[in-house]
Amino acid sequence: MESLENKIFSVSEFIYLLNIGLKSSKAKIIGEITEMKVSSLGHVYFTLKDEKDGAVLSCIIWKSRYNLYGIKLETGMKIMASGYPEIYAPLGKLSFIAETIEPAGEGELKKQYDELKKRLSEEGLFVDERKRSVPKYSQKIGVITSKHGAVLADFLNNIGRFGFKIKMIDSRVEGQEAVGDLLASLKTFKKQDIDVLVIIRGGGSLESLMPFNNETIIREVVNFPVPVIAGVGHHKDEPLITFAADVSVSTPTAAANYLNQSWEEALLLLERYERNILGRYEDIFENYKMIENKLRVSLQIFQSSLSGVKIALGDYLIKTFSGFKLLLSAANEKLAQSEKIALLNNPERQLKLGYSIAMVGSKVIRNTKDIEIGEDFDLKVSDGKIISKVKQKI
Amino acid sequence: MIKDAKNLNTNLKRLAEITEWFDDQEEIDVEQGLEKVKEAVSLIKMSKERLKEIENEFEEIKKEIEPKDE
Repeated sequence: MESLENKIFSVSEFIYLLNIGLKSSKAKIIGEITEMKVSSLGHVYFTLKDEKDGAVLSCIIWKSRYNLYGIKLETGMKIMASGYPEIYAPLGKLSFIAETIEPAGEGELKKQYDELKKRLSEEGLFVDERKRSVPKYSQKIGVITSKHGAVLADFLNNIGRFGFKIKMIDSRVEGQEAVGDLLASLKTFKKQDIDVLVIIRGGGSLESLMPFNNETIIREVVNFPVPVIAGVGHHKDEPLITFAADVSVSTPTAAANYLNQSWEEALLLLERYERNILGRYEDIFENYKMIENKLRVSLQIFQSSLSGVKIALGDYLIKTFSGFKLLLSAANEKLAQSEKIALLNNPERQLKLGYSIAMVGSKVIRNTKDIEIGEDFDLKVSDGKIISKVKQKI
Repeated sequence: MIKDAKNLNTNLKRLAEITEWFDDQEEIDVEQGLEKVKEAVSLIKMSKERLKEIENEFEEIKKEIEPKDE
């Protein structure tokens, strides 16, 4: 290979070569902004000054990056920029291309945090009315976190065996470099079929939690199509994502427990229902037994009444026959009595005793005036009649 | 079931009326008495047949309810 020392470059070629080398010289630089201007295209040109010896460095942050971090640069602000140096060929000037910017020092960070919190709060992004409830029995879970470290393990160890379908996107979660990853993950999950999105990481300093105070990310979370659970560490200044998320918990374990909750409650309910159903079934069984016993008694009563009817039928037969016999004997008695009376009153019986009946034609002679002297009459005796004549009436 | 069989309960009521008629009888009316006897015998015959049917049906039902008791 030809030595670079002997190669003759054009200016442009050499600058190009230098820039290849410079791009690998990534660095984080801290300094105070002394000059600043925004180009018509939205790119920001600023100068960082060393606070000790006044050394200066020209810096550029492209519009897309500048907007991503939501930090409004101002002269006098102390910031930390990460990026790489580059020579701008048309001017032959070296500039630091900032890929990320963040306020430097707790004071500046806190100021930025407070300002953003106030602004978004006034806009109504953090109000409870806006928050959506996580659907009960959610199954399709999207998780954004780093696959490195204990956070994911904590979450997976605590999520219950309720048939969850968990999709995970690995994302950096610390420092300004995480903003791009988080945004890309949010956009990916936006298009996927999930019931709830979980964003988790461990606790950290305000500085390390900066991505979770990023305005663009906050707005993505607020407008996310399904409810978002944020489990983003503990800090006295809570990351703004915790206010923006629909549900905020302090740890990955708590996020897992939150998702378990409705399923665990359902299990408890099922157990209670099972107990109730068994209890009710026993009651029904007892009632059935009681009804069965009552039915047995009713059957016996019915059987007795059938016997009663049988006896009654026999009684009616006896009563009817005896009633009729009585009637017959009464009739017989009456007939006999009548016969006796008739017999007693039969005139022929008197004739046999020696009495006779005197009759003129068919008329019985009861008095002397019933016949005249000399008139014939029949004298009826037991075996015939004697024709007689009246001689004298006395 | 017998075609002319009346309701068993109605039959029993009628039989009670017939026996009461005999009990209350003051004037001797043998002709009417004989008619009552004929009616009573006919009712009793029909009722016994109906009763037998009911008893048989009842035994069948009882068997269904208490198969182990049999």
